[in-house]
Amino acid sequence: MTLNHRSVAITITSGKGGVGKSTTVASAGLGLAQLGYRVCLVDTDIGLRKLDLMLGLENRIVYDLVDVVEGQCKIRQALVRHKEYPELALLPAAQTRYKEEVVPQQMEQLIHELRKEFDYILIDSPAGIEGGFRNAIVAADRAIIVVNPEIPSVRDSDRVIGLLESANIGQIDLVINRVQSDMIKDGDMLSVERVQNHLAINLLGIVPEDKRIIRSSNTGEPVILDDKSMAGKAYANIARRLSGHDVPFLELESDTLISKIKRLFHIA
Amino acid sequence: MTFLNMFGSKEEPTATKADDRLSLVLSYQRSDIDERKLKFFQARLIELCDEFDFDVVGQVTIIPQSKERTTIINASIPVRKKENG
Repeated sequence: MTLNHRSVAITITSGKGGVGKSTTVASAGLGLAQLGYRVCLVDTDIGLRKLDLMLGLENRIVYDLVDVVEGQCKIRQALVRHKEYPELALLPAAQTRYKEEVVPQQMEQLIHELRKEFDYILIDSPAGIEGGFRNAIVAADRAIIVVNPEIPSVRDSDRVIGLLESANIGQIDLVINRVQSDMIKDGDMLSVERVQNHLAINLLGIVPEDKRIIRSSNTGEPVILDDKSMAGKAYANIARRLSGHDVPFLELESDTLISKIKRLFHIA
Repeated sequence: MTFLNMFGSKEEPTATKADDRLSLVLSYQRSDIDERKLKFFQARLIELCDEFDFDVVGQVTIIPQSKERTTIINASIPVRKKENG
């Protein structure tokens, strides 16, 4: 299905590693494809690719991003289509090359070409704020910051927001990942409100901590396909918000009888 | 004994402390605060107190805080009106 939609390039970034950027890209991208959009996921983490594993496409890679920018192949040859959702394509990062082998001008040209074929281009940024990060943001219209509710992650995200603002990225949204409502209730985790107040950007999604994400990484099926996963539901909502729908945030409270008793006796 | 400890006082929540720490580290990061400049600023405030006939009678503290991407400099200056002022 081809929708009448201007192509949008969105960089998913964080500064700090391990906060769930690639998980967010895989599930939000699949969510947009489920909604009927043509979606390309671009893995810019050259040397440390992982989107292929998260989508279960690792065995189908022939060419990669570096091959494309070096002119070794056409973009179409390097794109790997998802088996169940052919509207979703992956442009994998090279695994045995270095980030320095791609420069921002090449990325700009690449994204320009991808815009002709896709409604959404989700660019998975590497951790850090060095060359790989600059490549990931150079052609972005929007950015999504993925943050965990803890000080090191929020501080790094704040630094990245400053860099994105300097680069004149039009819209910057926030996804707060690995939220644990019981820890917030006990005063041991920064609340969603506090994180959002500190970073002062638009909240796009709240994703609860979910053990099923590990299962999803192991199986190569993005968590959005897991009906039992709360995180999967949160990512489905994020995809819908990205496409302009007004979707309420998930209620994350899990106030069971046991948790109430634990709190009563101060053992939670 | 473990059971009895359950009724004891609960540990202080850490999120409040984390929130204060975060506010401080973000302020420093956003304003790129130079510690030397901050000390100079502190010295100037003490001079100003003198100009306005106040004696500084305790520790002067300058604490940058962050609120919605704005840095707020909180200065605590314990003073007393000069007797001959």
